[in-house]
Amino acid sequence: MPEITVERLSKSFGQEQALKNISFSVHDKEFLTLLGPSGCGKTTTLMSIAGFQRPDEGLISCGDRTFFDRAAKVYLKAEDRNLGMVFQSYAIWPHLTVFGNVAFPLRIRRMKKDALRRRVLETLDLVEMGDYARRYPHELSGGQQQRVALARALVYAPAVLLLDEPFSNLDAKLRERARTWLKHLQAELGLTTLFVTHDQDEALSLSDRIVVMDEGSVLQIGTPEDIYRRPATRFVAEFLGHCNILPARVATATSSGTTGLVLHGNGKPITLSGGDRAAGDEVQLAVRPEAVELTSDESASGENTYRAELRSVSFLGDHYVYELGIDGLALTVTDTRLFVGPAVTVRIPPSACRVLPS
Amino acid sequence: MSSVSYAPAHGARVRRLVPETGAQAAIWAVVLVCVLAPVLPLVYASVQSKPIYAAGRVFTLAPYRQLFTDPAFWTAALNTLEFAAITTASSVVLGGSFAVLCSRTDVYGRRAYSRLFIAPIVLPPLGVILGWNALYGPGGYAHDFVNQTLHIPLNLTSVPGMAVLGTAVAVPVVFLVCQATLSGADSSLENAARSTGAPPLSVLGRITVPMLRPALLNAGLLVFTLSIESLGIPLVLGSPQGHDFIASYLFNTWSSAFTPDPPVVSAGATVLLACACALLLLRSKLLGDQARFVSVGGRSGPAGGVQLGTWLRWVLGAILGVYLLATAFAPIAALALSSVVSELTPLIAPWHLLTLGNWWEIAHGTFAHSILNTVEIAVVGGLLTTLVVALATAVAQRSRFRLRRSLPFMLLFPRAIPGIIIGIGFFWTFLLVNPPGGALRNSIWGIMLALSIRSITLAYFVMSSAFGTVSESMDHAARAAGASWWTSTTRIAFPILKPALYASFILLFISILNDYDPALFLVTPGHEIMGVTMLDAEQQGTIGPVAALAMVQVAITILAIAVGARLFAAQARGKRNA
Ligand SMILES: Nc1ncnc2c1ncn2[C@@H]1O[C@H](COP(=O)(O)OP(=O)(O)OP(=O)(O)O)[C@@H](O)[C@H]1O
Ligand SMILES: [Mg+2]
Repeated sequence: MPEITVERLSKSFGQEQALKNISFSVHDKEFLTLLGPSGCGKTTTLMSIAGFQRPDEGLISCGDRTFFDRAAKVYLKAEDRNLGMVFQSYAIWPHLTVFGNVAFPLRIRRMKKDALRRRVLETLDLVEMGDYARRYPHELSGGQQQRVALARALVYAPAVLLLDEPFSNLDAKLRERARTWLKHLQAELGLTTLFVTHDQDEALSLSDRIVVMDEGSVLQIGTPEDIYRRPATRFVAEFLGHCNILPARVATATSSGTTGLVLHGNGKPITLSGGDRAAGDEVQLAVRPEAVELTSDESASGENTYRAELRSVSFLGDHYVYELGIDGLALTVTDTRLFVGPAVTVRIPPSACRVLPS
Repeated sequence: MSSVSYAPAHGARVRRLVPETGAQAAIWAVVLVCVLAPVLPLVYASVQSKPIYAAGRVFTLAPYRQLFTDPAFWTAALNTLEFAAITTASSVVLGGSFAVLCSRTDVYGRRAYSRLFIAPIVLPPLGVILGWNALYGPGGYAHDFVNQTLHIPLNLTSVPGMAVLGTAVAVPVVFLVCQATLSGADSSLENAARSTGAPPLSVLGRITVPMLRPALLNAGLLVFTLSIESLGIPLVLGSPQGHDFIASYLFNTWSSAFTPDPPVVSAGATVLLACACALLLLRSKLLGDQARFVSVGGRSGPAGGVQLGTWLRWVLGAILGVYLLATAFAPIAALALSSVVSELTPLIAPWHLLTLGNWWEIAHGTFAHSILNTVEIAVVGGLLTTLVVALATAVAQRSRFRLRRSLPFMLLFPRAIPGIIIGIGFFWTFLLVNPPGGALRNSIWGIMLALSIRSITLAYFVMSSAFGTVSESMDHAARAAGASWWTSTTRIAFPILKPALYASFILLFISILNDYDPALFLVTPGHEIMGVTMLDAEQQGTIGPVAALAMVQVAITILAIAVGARLFAAQARGKRNA
């Protein structure tokens, strides 16, 4: 049963359309990420679901409860939606201790004192903050505050957890730890989670599925692998990791499951698997840098194998990044081995080329 | 990681004690009633042939005709204009220059002056007037020194003379507005001009002062608005010599008319109200909404600025010191002195006349009673107003209530209503709406209501900027956790805003304590407040006890500020040690 469903959501601020017909759903126990560049409408979407932003059009429901339905004039108040929310700024209340912050949602629900105490300490233990119950927010580090915010959002077992860039205030090291830790917690408790980020690594490593957004529209929905390997548009290909975009023209129509093309950059032929292209079609090929094979063997030859000039190398710890030129066509390639110039042999496997719709 | 059972917290739904929209609508309605109560009955009374408690009234414009054909009204109007024009012009020039000197040059003592120039804002206005009268008035301690030794023809009872006092009262306001602008302005603009080789003084003239133009305009309009409604200055100084302003003309007509409470006074008050509203509109049109939220206080500017040179530094510093001494400290000192002498005279050395009689006198009877009344009104009024305005600001800034956008205007409006209009307006309101009008009229609570409404805007300034500093996600976090608007406002927002609530209460306490204009029209025997008692006694020629009462006002004000500073410090410490 889909837990949260968003259908045809639209929202304008004056002239600017922040959301254009957004639809997606978050399944039960799923970790879904909204990914997109700054200003694409992620927060607006999340705030619409949480009830802090009123959309112009569309429908939002959670299980069998309708949160918002423009057509039926339904609008459930934020406090009645029973969602857990972690804000980008954490929004830890400065006048309450850690315990007070986490206890607040239960006090609102008039839980008995003993049960409340047990529940709060239990939840604080869960986020490894049990020893800090008496502290005030300003006596905590950024990472600790973030965990208090999470405990506060979890303590009343909300139907769904909403997180708006919860790691953006943490340093790189801590962010990585927090990531693993959140993923664990989410899996263990089976939380239905909607996560917002503009960080592609975060999205790839945490999500069951990713919704890629740009300028208020959904571009693609899929598993991390799906989206990484089979980007639907050039924007998606370039937003998730580095990608070589090679313009080309179809030379020979499909034969035996492969298509022959000519690269615009240098006029060389290239073959790729799959087809359904007519001769003369203009296409763009997306090639991931790590999918390209390098050898120093000058005599290697065959399909999609070219000699390339090695323009520069940079060392990034666990791999090298090579800037290559194939008769004037620029190509970025990564490899764990070190090659020294002036030239290398490059092979682009036919299966590594993906044709983007133009 | 520990593994715990993760069952839903509670089957029960959250219970809502206060329905959200109901509470918000109630708050909105309270504010609307408070703002309209003094205005509507007044306008109504101004188009009636007889006072509205009398039978046989008909609709008529006669009160306006009568007002506009009374030559005394026109004389008073001209006096008021002259007073307001001189006061505005000179206070803008002086306040602006002082602010530039203190925040953009290395004038001697600039840091201390930055505070001292603002301080007189909290002094009781009536005390300042009486102090000036005791010092520079006819028969004052320094009257002969100023007029004969220094050859400055200062006649405090003439219109220009009153404008000198008006200027002294208005300069701190202009100074505050300009200083806030200057400390917010980027001084690198001026440094850029200097790096192109412009000499320091021409930088002040060509960059700094033009930058200040909106602030000067804002302050000028504010001072002008406050000047045309002045009541205390003419009542104490000009009126006895026949120099009336509109406000004192209306008050005198009111209190000495053959038929009590004549409609012509309501007509005059309505005209004054129209002028004040027009000025408020003009001001917000010229300045946009921003300028109304001039923040109080501010950092002192970057050290250095324009270097004046040793000689000029000291001379200008000395001039500032003499100005402060002559306009603020000496009058208060004169007031203090006249509270402990049996007679106010420059002819006999004061130590021959020392007495505690004045203080003994105000410790008893009507005087003591009115002190208690005033403090009571200031405490209760300060608390209630702070509470109502805090809630109203929460509706305006942190709710989805339909009419919330009208609240800021409603909360700013009382600022535009002259004090005597609130007084006359409530007089009629209490007569028309009875109960509870009668009960309010025959107790101190009617006066409290009038004075509180006058201070609404002050509280709104404090609360709206305080709410601005607390991220909205604090409320959102509470609501996401299931809290209603009411709960998140009272249990999250208000505790976080505690320092601002304290500050608002202290400011309102001081403002209500020292205010008196509206009360002149509302006071009933046995329910006097200090300002009214002082004016009454002063007009009967009682000097000493009045000065003692004014000193009590000054003392309570200083005490309140000290307590406020304490509370702040305690808050800050609590936060740190908690
Ligand atoms: N209250 C508002 N008033 C006007 N425009 C707004 C408002 N809130 C958002 N917008 C606009 O809507 C668009 C989407 O904003 P949103 O905050 O959803 O972006 P985002 O994807 O969360 O970006 P970021 O990653 O920077 O947080 C932006 O162009 C923004 O300028
Ligand atoms: Mg955002």
